[in-house]
Amino acid sequence: MRYTRAAGVAAIIALTAVAGCQRGPRRTVLTVYSPHGNDLLSFYEKGFEAAHPDVDVQSADMGSQDIIDRLRGEKANPQADVWFGAPEEIFQRAAREGLLAPYRPTWAGAVPADSHDPNDLWYGTYLTPEVIGYNSQAVSDSAAPKDWNDVLDPKWKGKVLIRDPIASGSMRAIFGAIILRSIRETGSPEQGYEWLRRLDAQTKEYTLNPTILYQKLGRQEGLITLFDMPDLAMLRDRYHIPVKYTIPRSGTPLLVDAIALVKGSKHPEIARQYYEFVTSKRALEDAAARFYRIPVRTDIPADSLPQWIRDALRQITPMPVDRAMLEQHLDQWMQYWDSHIRNSSR
Amino acid sequence: MQQVRGRDVGAVANHQPPTTSSYTWLLALPVLLLLVWSVVYPNASVIAGSFGEGLRYWREFVSSPTDREALRTTIVIAVGSVIAATAVGVPLAFLLTRFEFRGRRVLSVVATLPAALPPLVGVVAFLFLYGESGVVTRGVQSLFRMDHAPWTLNGAGAIIFVHAYTMYVYVFLFVSAGLERLDQSLDEAAAGLGASRARRLRRVTLPLLTPALAGSMLLVFMSALGSFSAPYIFGGGLRVLSTQIIASKLNGAMGLAYVETTVLAVGAVAALLLLRWFERRRTYAVSSKGTIARAPLHSPFARTLAPVLGVALVVVLILPHAMVVLVSFARDGTWTTQVLPPDYTLDNFRRLATDSDLWVPIRNSVSMTAIATVLDVVVCFVAAYLIVLRRFRGKWLLGLLVALPWAIPGTAIAIGLASTFDRNSLAGAQLLLVGTFWILPLAYFVRGVPLVSSATEGSLRQMDPSLEDAARGLGASWWLTIRRVVLPAARPGLVAGAMLAAITAVGEFVASIVLFTHANRPISVEILSQLRDFAFGTAAAYSVLLIVLVLAITLLARWAEGRWSRTETVVIQ
Repeated sequence: MRYTRAAGVAAIIALTAVAGCQRGPRRTVLTVYSPHGNDLLSFYEKGFEAAHPDVDVQSADMGSQDIIDRLRGEKANPQADVWFGAPEEIFQRAAREGLLAPYRPTWAGAVPADSHDPNDLWYGTYLTPEVIGYNSQAVSDSAAPKDWNDVLDPKWKGKVLIRDPIASGSMRAIFGAIILRSIRETGSPEQGYEWLRRLDAQTKEYTLNPTILYQKLGRQEGLITLFDMPDLAMLRDRYHIPVKYTIPRSGTPLLVDAIALVKGSKHPEIARQYYEFVTSKRALEDAAARFYRIPVRTDIPADSLPQWIRDALRQITPMPVDRAMLEQHLDQWMQYWDSHIRNSSR
Repeated sequence: MQQVRGRDVGAVANHQPPTTSSYTWLLALPVLLLLVWSVVYPNASVIAGSFGEGLRYWREFVSSPTDREALRTTIVIAVGSVIAATAVGVPLAFLLTRFEFRGRRVLSVVATLPAALPPLVGVVAFLFLYGESGVVTRGVQSLFRMDHAPWTLNGAGAIIFVHAYTMYVYVFLFVSAGLERLDQSLDEAAAGLGASRARRLRRVTLPLLTPALAGSMLLVFMSALGSFSAPYIFGGGLRVLSTQIIASKLNGAMGLAYVETTVLAVGAVAALLLLRWFERRRTYAVSSKGTIARAPLHSPFARTLAPVLGVALVVVLILPHAMVVLVSFARDGTWTTQVLPPDYTLDNFRRLATDSDLWVPIRNSVSMTAIATVLDVVVCFVAAYLIVLRRFRGKWLLGLLVALPWAIPGTAIAIGLASTFDRNSLAGAQLLLVGTFWILPLAYFVRGVPLVSSATEGSLRQMDPSLEDAARGLGASWWLTIRRVVLPAARPGLVAGAMLAAITAVGEFVASIVLFTHANRPISVEILSQLRDFAFGTAAAYSVLLIVLVLAITLLARWAEGRWSRTETVVIQ
């Protein structure tokens, strides 16, 4: 019995010690949900905390679809204050479902009309071009695909890696653009589906998440992928994965990445300050220079942006995107792809 | 080592436990209510949710080709895992219980190692080892100078491969225990009567082993049915029900997710009911104190082969652990096309030690595990006491309730909790837990209930129930009897069960990924987000830490057991 008591006391001491660790100087916790990656997030985290020493920014890094799923589940007890990043398509859905709180940023006038919500529920922050990536150790620049159709070349058969399109904003944007192109040219999505079927025949694997995609691409399990430019550039420069990209000649979808306040946030005032902080001119210049993000705001002087952005912007032919049609049909197209095209020709 | 359960011994079998008294109900009611509230209620509301719009969601499920494919693949994987786990577990159990050879002891210790590998860590280790660019794969490729990787690690085959590694332990443990209980004199008698070795195996050994074998196969079936980590990480577009549930939830199709959850849970619960039926049929033909005689291997061929095979097995079993340790020292981003990581560093662990943000998940996992385990021990001690030593109506219900979370897959438990405890409502007996710290300890508690209660029940059954009456008859109060008679008897089971529950909780991934909040993120979720951030080294360092935690829990339990068994033997006898 003596030992039981001793063990009991020890357990209680251990528990209190663990609980005690959680106390300490209390700062206001601001929770940010974002898919932008730890590097970008901790950069802004440090900057914001330096300016607001009483605030502790906690950035939860997760996929865009995961974020909207969490916000739905936490609707009665919102845990996040700011939602920083995801394609506008997902923000639109969240706005419809009443998950966002309106806010009109001080720079609202510098954003094109189609890059924000009419009721101020979300605003565009970055433009994300979709590109064709390749392993630069295994594929020479001259051999790399230059346009979407080049990816269907027989020499890439079984060498294409695709991030699982259902959960990926980038892949949904690319697939959507391909079907929109088909509708524009032929009036029906059929030709687009046929293109995706041929892509499926080329595809080696649909990877669960970007990391597995990067890993497999870096280690030459596959050589070609379709993904967004900032992530591929980051991969090359920060993680030294031998990856390069080409901007598709015929045009590419430019995704608008956005930011919003979460409805029911417990610290709306600090959330607004953070919102302004990460979208200030200075912050956007940092994002461009360090994290390959192209600002949506049109009032950033071109000469304050890095050379590669100016080059890229010159090369990019934005694909015309019918947003209304996308919003109405994209889910349905993806559903069709998932049940009729995925794995059908492999 | 003869395990004779109380109810199997003639003298005890006739003993009638005391009939219902008021304090039995005083004890039973809160436990029953707690279990109904935390186990039955959430799952019932998932089932109700699946009928939210009449039969619409069910029709959607039946007519969807993707869901039919998911269901089919789930069953294929579950059956395949049973076959693979049996094929590995049974021969190993025979080898280790029936034969003596060099290295047997080491092998029997290592054989249970896979059970100590947290699910997500195991899957990641397999990716590093046997993935297309994994160490073993690249090794074989460069050894034979092949242009292509000799195999790919995806699809149903890969998942069954991982399951075979992690789940054969169930078959191995059950069958070993069965073999050890087996009375060898029966075998000798049959031999004496002239039965051949094959005939003895077929007519004596196998029939006696059937309950253990069937039980462990059902257990593997249940686990494989609900397995989430393996298909989630390298399914490569393969669909199974557990991942399909998460996909439906992501797409906002909650109704469909409820249907998928219901199908999965009902399948697993059916397997559980079958398992319990088998357990009830289990009759031990043995009560003699025969010790296991391990036969030395006679033929020189077998004598040389067994150790070689043993060493190979030990290597295969240890490789995943070793791989995680290796990668935890690899410098991030340097390992591309080489067989082994080329560049090593201590940075990954240095970061863990110095970055205070990186400590949060560790603290979370430890404290949530402690809370859940303490609660498990208290509730399950009461439940096991009621089930074994009391008689009251509704006992079968209590027995079923404590076993239920065993069968219900983690994903289903999580979906149930998430959809039930997302608001405060007195009328609905709902508590707002989603988005709070407490939702994960609750989930861990639920997952731990069957582990602690079944282990404790086992211990209590070994106690002679008349001891309790004797103590009361000698004038001890009920409380004193519990403390000095029942608790010491239950202790080995409580310690073992608590150990299992704590090991499960500290590495829990499946329910955590659905329910965590940023503030209470556990280690497993942090591993996933480090992987997402391409920090394989940090992820591996966390995994090593998790393995160390599991080891620490095991050692703590061993120590506690040794401590108590020395001081309390007098009381138990």
